[in-house]
Amino acid sequence: MAEKQLESTVRAAADQKAWFAQLRDDVFEKQKPYAIVQADMPLELFHAMDVPVVSNQWWAAMVAAKRLAPYYLDGLNAMGYHDGLCRYCSLSLASTVAGDPAQAPWGGLPKPALFSARLTCDCIQRVFEIWAAKLGAPFVPLDAPGASDLPPRWWELSRYRWNELFESHRLDFMVAQFHSLIATLERITGRTFDVDRLRALMEGVNQQEQYFEEVREMICRAPKTPVRMHEQMSNVMAAQWLRGSEWAIAHARAFRDEVKERVDAGVAACQSERLRLMWVGAGLWHDTDFYTAFEERYGAVFVWSMYLAFGPDGYIRYGLDDPLRALASRTVSFNEQLHNPPWANEWIVDQAKRHRIDAALVLEPLGTRPSATGNLFIERALEASGVPVLPIVADMVDARGWNGVEMRQKVSQFLERV
Amino acid sequence: MSSAISTLTKIYEERAVQPKTGVPVVGVTSNTVPWELLRAAGFDPVLLSPRRRHTTLADRYMEDVFSARIKAVFNFLISGEAAFLSAVVIPRTSEQEHKLYLYLREVVRQGNPERVPEPILYNLLHARSAEAEAYGLERTHDLKGTLERLSGRSIEPDALSAAIAEGNAARQAIRELLQQREGPAPRLSGRDALALIGAWYFMDRSEYTPLAREALQEIQTRPPLAGPRILIKGSPQDASDFCAAIEAHGAIVVAEDDWWGSRAAGQDIDPRSDPIRAIFEKYYFDAPSPRVFPSEIADAWFLRKASEVDGVIFYLRQEDDVIGWDYPRLRDYLDQRAIPHLMLRDEDSDEIGAFIERLHG
Repeated sequence: MAEKQLESTVRAAADQKAWFAQLRDDVFEKQKPYAIVQADMPLELFHAMDVPVVSNQWWAAMVAAKRLAPYYLDGLNAMGYHDGLCRYCSLSLASTVAGDPAQAPWGGLPKPALFSARLTCDCIQRVFEIWAAKLGAPFVPLDAPGASDLPPRWWELSRYRWNELFESHRLDFMVAQFHSLIATLERITGRTFDVDRLRALMEGVNQQEQYFEEVREMICRAPKTPVRMHEQMSNVMAAQWLRGSEWAIAHARAFRDEVKERVDAGVAACQSERLRLMWVGAGLWHDTDFYTAFEERYGAVFVWSMYLAFGPDGYIRYGLDDPLRALASRTVSFNEQLHNPPWANEWIVDQAKRHRIDAALVLEPLGTRPSATGNLFIERALEASGVPVLPIVADMVDARGWNGVEMRQKVSQFLERV
Repeated sequence: MSSAISTLTKIYEERAVQPKTGVPVVGVTSNTVPWELLRAAGFDPVLLSPRRRHTTLADRYMEDVFSARIKAVFNFLISGEAAFLSAVVIPRTSEQEHKLYLYLREVVRQGNPERVPEPILYNLLHARSAEAEAYGLERTHDLKGTLERLSGRSIEPDALSAAIAEGNAARQAIRELLQQREGPAPRLSGRDALALIGAWYFMDRSEYTPLAREALQEIQTRPPLAGPRILIKGSPQDASDFCAAIEAHGAIVVAEDDWWGSRAAGQDIDPRSDPIRAIFEKYYFDAPSPRVFPSEIADAWFLRKASEVDGVIFYLRQEDDVIGWDYPRLRDYLDQRAIPHLMLRDEDSDEIGAFIERLHG
């Protein structure tokens, strides 16, 4: 595994592990409730009710990083779920029902009090319904109408003009669904929802994302990137899952400070940086060493992924008089902005320009429809803007079809052309 | 074969989408677009489901994860061949259709090509909740307004009533055809049923109803068909090839759990209720969709029908990423009741033959 250059990265990993151990302790010893949710859910509602959440995608990434995905996915297939089904969104399910759950990272997921997911694709309602039935916990879905108003440069509107960006009827509908979710959380916790607490949390999220924005700007402006992409991901996502909390804000600040120190001192993640690469799509969680494999020979450094870049543009909401509505605006098009035309292609091209990107690798997952679509528009747009593109056909968590040696050779040939 | 049967089969096979003199044509992409609203607005609604092996244009924009059917629809819409359509109405009935809408919008935005009909999103949701129901009813009113803008005229109550009556008459004719698939000795094969029912998506329903009734009269005179009765579950049967492959082994496909055959018509739209609410309720409560939730509701039809057949064949094409999640649950249900079943990922004739042979035994 590649070295961790930042102290923040080491601390993020350690704190995350401690957080999970505490979660297990609270659930097993104190019978406290927690929830398993999709990554694009309004985690803020759970945090405001003191219900910890485990993101489905985070846990899938953890299982994949521990090289356990083949074991659990083989088990899922043996139960009759065919191998063409989405793996990213079902690996966590598999880790609890298709094999020995105790082999999962850090002792595995305890039984949650609640499952919740936004119904983006057609399969996620099924994954969560199966999961909820197997583990004996309720499932609260949030349905997802499609957007029909699609301003291409959405990130220029999302902070202040979110109320007009996302169509009133969609916001109204999401807020109505929030009230149902809140009622369930109140029933589970025995507590009353406090809108002022949510507002304070949302203000904290804004603060946190502003720190990430500073980091993003430093990466854009520094002669060479001060922080490797996979360390950006580790630091950002550790905080995003707990966004708005004191820990998350403090961690984002410490990360910003450490990156700033490196920039001020002229420290680069890779001193021989000659090519700046962009990774489009979810992380390649089963082989994160891939991201540093091209530094030594080609000076090719991954400097951009959506994980840091999306923080400021996707999360910040100013004008929190009605925090539920502001949160709805963050939720209604969450992953669509990353994967659907025109939002994804326009934003990624803009990011490529700002980050002085020389070439892009685009993950084309075999399953996982919401992540697999929109890619051809993204690739065409990047190429039209002068950025060469290499599609990477692979699954983000399933290593069963992955040949790391061959793929590194393929990328090497691409970089030689670039 | 009667002229009605051959006419309907030809319409089903050809799936022609053509300009009509004096009547603007609007394309729809699946069963959950309210035909009655389009009809009452003065349009000729027609389902887009072209048979196309090569989708060169669509392949430029659409990834391989899209179904062959959606790719073919997209290819048709951006090819220029669809330029005569006044619009295309796309429901939020599947994720792929939502993406189809976005891709069409993007192709138009990028100005390449320019002759794409106006895409209209009908944001009908399928999860059962008070919020989704209220939202869907509002969107149905919105769709009415959009169609009025498009046609330049109001949708009058009389026109709505007439369209509802027209649609209901066609549904009644389909239900009578479906009766010929019921019982121990059906008279209508699956292959014929898919054609005779499927034709209603591609033609004027006032013309469909008399032809369907005429076809019914001939079918009623046919001798009963012998063989194990099969229910198909899985990828939608938008062609009759798979039915024919099963029936070639001496079985009879008596039902399919998707929107092309047995479940195409469903119940009538209540003509006594507020028409917009009644239309919405029909498409929200009584139309198959991969997004119906919870599974207790989505499975209900299948569970009832499974008890009336001799065997079930699950057909999950390679492109499937949805029904595969339902399969183990439904398989277990069948096992508990000793209902024979087979699961296929492709049209494997040998496996089908062996399964039918076991049923004969």
